[in-house]
Amino acid sequence: MRRILRPVLFGVVALVLLAIPVVAILARSYFFSPTAQPAKTQPIAFPHPLHVNTLGMDCTFCHRTAATQASAGVPALEQCMFCHKVIPTTNRPNLERLVNAFNSGQPIQWARVHQMPDHVHFVHAMHINAGFQCQTCHGPVQDMTAVSQFRDLRMGDCIACHRQNNARTDCAVCHY
Amino acid sequence: MTPRWGMVIDLDRCTGCQACVVACQAENNVPINTEAIYLQHRAIQWIRVERYWEGEFPNIKARYIPVPCMHCSEAPCEPVCPVYATYHTPEGINMQVYNRCIGTRYCSVNCHWHVRFFNFWEPKWPESLHNQLNPDVSVRSRGVMEKCTFCIQRINHAEQNARLDNNRPLRDGEVNTACAQACPTRAIVFGDLNDPESEVAKIANTTDRGYKVLAELGTNPSVLYLKKIDPDAPAEHGAESA
Repeated sequence: MRRILRPVLFGVVALVLLAIPVVAILARSYFFSPTAQPAKTQPIAFPHPLHVNTLGMDCTFCHRTAATQASAGVPALEQCMFCHKVIPTTNRPNLERLVNAFNSGQPIQWARVHQMPDHVHFVHAMHINAGFQCQTCHGPVQDMTAVSQFRDLRMGDCIACHRQNNARTDCAVCHY
Repeated sequence: MTPRWGMVIDLDRCTGCQACVVACQAENNVPINTEAIYLQHRAIQWIRVERYWEGEFPNIKARYIPVPCMHCSEAPCEPVCPVYATYHTPEGINMQVYNRCIGTRYCSVNCHWHVRFFNFWEPKWPESLHNQLNPDVSVRSRGVMEKCTFCIQRINHAEQNARLDNNRPLRDGEVNTACAQACPTRAIVFGDLNDPESEVAKIANTTDRGYKVLAELGTNPSVLYLKKIDPDAPAEHGAESA
């Protein structure tokens, strides 16, 4: 009995050990995929719905360089203060934090939401000028109280969209 | 028309000052080569200036030849890559896809010009130079191959700007490589060989001093050299190319 049991046990253990990396890789892409991440807590709970839906501001009012440069840009506090200089902060802890940060000259350490893979150069300007809406990649940010990543934004996602729109799929367009 | 990027290097203008080498290191985040790394023969120089002597001591002449990647049309480095990490762009550039490279080094073995470099070590810069790195260029980590890209970040940037500016075609002189830009004697000229009006095409089409290094291999390099004019050379030597 033991003569059979030992090789069988050995085989089972070996199979389990070999399966670990495979399972780990699959689990990594499933559970840790960018879209499966919970929404990040920001130092100031910035309400996109209020600014976009209620006040009717355009994305590029704050993300100023989206249509002209590679990076869309996170606005400096000065830009928030265009309006918030005259908006009362009493009993509004988020606004108090904003004004205090501005007065003390401390920048807000926003948490990065959209995770692109490494070694890729993405240019916002090209995509906006090709006629894409911000929402195509970023999702309905105007309805998100806490912004989370909407699309996968990994290479398969990029390539699929580039093929649909007859954009270049040459490696050197993004990887250099 | 799709451009075909190419370069003309006039050896009669080259003084061997190495400004191109320094400009390239700075532009492309090439790690600093220390003496120890040179002694290991593991220095990374996307463009190097080779020096050789002609003649015997009293009548000796120093000759210089800057050697970037030739961006061969039939590049010998490309078919040997098992993971397609090196390939030809439609614009005639031999590109290295760093994140695809697994570091077999077959390509550098198959390159006759020795212009492919392997990162044997993690690249390091002194603390004071950390903000000097070019954000438009990936820093290559240990274990991948790297090489001259004809400053593709500048080409892509110029092409993007041209597209944003009413989708107009690129103008000659809008794209320049770091080495060509830094060259004080304008020995290096970079441009689109497919555009007959570009400076590089005009030189390449009219010169009688042109030759390509190791042209006999039939790889059709995109870099054309212009032979040094030697006033002491006998006249019948004129048509002979190196």
